[in-house]
Amino acid sequence: MTRALRVPAVVLAAGLALSACGFSGNGGGGGDGANQLSLLVPSYSDGTKQRWEQVIASFEKEHPDITVSLEVQSWDNINDVVRTKIQSGEAPDILNIDAFAGFAQDGLLHPAEEVASPETLADFQPTFVDNASMGGTMRAFPMIASTRTLFYNTDLLAQAGVAGPPKTWDELLDASKRISALGNGVHGYGMPLGNEEAQAETSIWTFGAGGSWSDGEKLTIDTPRNLEGVQAMQRMIEEGATQPDPGATDRTPLINVFIQGKIGMIEGLPPTIGQIEEKNPDLGWATAPIPTKDGSPVTLGVADHLMAFRNGGDKADVIRAFVDYFFSKDVYVPWVDAEGFLPTTKSGAEALSSKPELADFLAGLPEAQFYPGANRSWSAAQGSMQTLIGQLGQGKDPAAVLAEVQAGVEG
Amino acid sequence: MSRADPAPTRSAPTRSARARWARTAAAGPWLVGVLVLIAGVVLFPAGYMLWNSLRDISEFGVDRGPAGLENYQRLAELAALPRVLLNTAVWVVGVVVITVLVSLALAQFLDKAFPGRRLVRMAVIVPWAASVVMTATVFYYGLDPFYGIMNHALVDIGLLDAPYGFTKNTVPAFAVAMGIAVFVSLPFTTYTLLAGLQTIPGEVLEAAQLDGAGRIATYRRVVLPMLRPAIAVATIINIINVFNSLPILRTITGSIPGYSADTTTTLTFKLIQADRQVDTASALSVVNFVLVLAIIVVYVRVARPMREH
Repeated sequence: MTRALRVPAVVLAAGLALSACGFSGNGGGGGDGANQLSLLVPSYSDGTKQRWEQVIASFEKEHPDITVSLEVQSWDNINDVVRTKIQSGEAPDILNIDAFAGFAQDGLLHPAEEVASPETLADFQPTFVDNASMGGTMRAFPMIASTRTLFYNTDLLAQAGVAGPPKTWDELLDASKRISALGNGVHGYGMPLGNEEAQAETSIWTFGAGGSWSDGEKLTIDTPRNLEGVQAMQRMIEEGATQPDPGATDRTPLINVFIQGKIGMIEGLPPTIGQIEEKNPDLGWATAPIPTKDGSPVTLGVADHLMAFRNGGDKADVIRAFVDYFFSKDVYVPWVDAEGFLPTTKSGAEALSSKPELADFLAGLPEAQFYPGANRSWSAAQGSMQTLIGQLGQGKDPAAVLAEVQAGVEG
Repeated sequence: MSRADPAPTRSAPTRSARARWARTAAAGPWLVGVLVLIAGVVLFPAGYMLWNSLRDISEFGVDRGPAGLENYQRLAELAALPRVLLNTAVWVVGVVVITVLVSLALAQFLDKAFPGRRLVRMAVIVPWAASVVMTATVFYYGLDPFYGIMNHALVDIGLLDAPYGFTKNTVPAFAVAMGIAVFVSLPFTTYTLLAGLQTIPGEVLEAAQLDGAGRIATYRRVVLPMLRPAIAVATIINIINVFNSLPILRTITGSIPGYSADTTTTLTFKLIQADRQVDTASALSVVNFVLVLAIIVVYVRVARPMREH
């Protein structure tokens, strides 16, 4: 009962606070807005909203003069919401999202050092700091990270007579075909190329061929190495090693099919572990490094960021108070741990290094390659990959698909 | 007397026109609310759409200045455009024609007295009462190759050897979407036509019978012409609805790669969400708006639905 009441109340309060911000902003920086922070975040899991509410409640207890309004959006909507808010001059003070480069280049963001103490900045791991910097200046705070690794169904591999997890593409193809041959609705390799996250699966394959999406300045989509990766994907599809219609299959539902035991192997994330434990604890599963062209290790790293918008007036001190508070070990580590992701701070990695199920993921971090998030065209490139890459499953020529994505980026 | 007569007749129209103006002016204060509403809800968004289509807007919503007709040019250069326009035509014409034909039959059926007619009439409303997204989602999951109940049923009764990705391949997915669009458009159309049928006086039908007209002749020569206004209303409203329909296609064909299953309306959304081109999407919306106007003008001109007898 109280819970049912609390949610509308929070929404109402957030709505009122947001509209209050909007009006004071239009009025030319009213004094009362200076101690109000608006926070816009995506929902990582069903518990995300509650976790943020706890963080905010304890922050407000420590800083009684500051009020924080929270808005939680789904990943499907958050980009539209942010764009609409910016267009109407109501950008949030703090935003949690994947890519920051476009906002930074449009001059909308505070540099990181303006809104965090030196101690907080020094605690971030250097790879993530590089990934969050443009032209030597850190523009955003790496907030959570994830890497991918191969999840496999130990029972299906044994039934198909596959000795161990594959290390190279050839072994992967062979093992997948053998598992697919088991029949009964079982498929060897789960390849989600639907528009939910086609760019992730594609990156795993192109990185596995030694490719990358950027040369540091320009986006390099249509390159010989990337082509090799994409051709290997199509070979898997055409030889029947994947589930049917990979071009129109999204990641989340496909991981569920893996959890139900109908798929031999799939690339998973840290939260996949928790999902298996929750939905089908009887599944026989294990993780292994991602198979690549020649077996050398590589993985896709993804970091989401926290960033602070310049909204007129001087809110830098208030934002700094919140950022320092959030990234302090006692607040940050439980948050990351509960969401099942990897920490981006040194103190966080130390605190979580003892968890055995995260070992494979943490070990993958040194070899992790990231999306070129510092390139402002990446958002659009990612979008056109999500729309277009799936055509590989319809028999379209891989070179033509890459050329089409590249053309969209330049256009 | 005779000379004075013409004067009042000549000045009468002017006076009555002035009187009408005065009456309109007097009504003004009561119209303000509605006019403000129309301006705010209809004119402002349309104007804003046109304005956006002429601006250069960044991926993140920052207005970078005027763009002239560049957005329209970029739109014209889209390789997928011919296919998308063809899809749009198939979608609108197919759904509206099938809906109207099926509804004519349904309305005729529901017009006859039979036991339980009230229940059947109520059952026809159900797809209308349900949310379109919900209906489409039910079909989407039902047809899912991994856990879809419809797919399983087809396999169990032996029509299929293995589950088939009805919603994962362009042509079947588009056909499924059209089927759902017809399904959700039937209630409104049927009821509009049923209302039209009930305005046809029984005497007219009797007279046709007495004159020796058979059933088919009565239907074609008497019923259909008298249904013309109802058919016109149903058709025009359906054209607009179906043309702008987003939820069904997005739910059913949304995961299909490329643009092979897109209409202009879903392409607008892909331009915004995937390609981050609000400006190009605005240009496409303007084109959409003009297209739907043109279709209706053509329909009204060719079919002359409102022609009086």
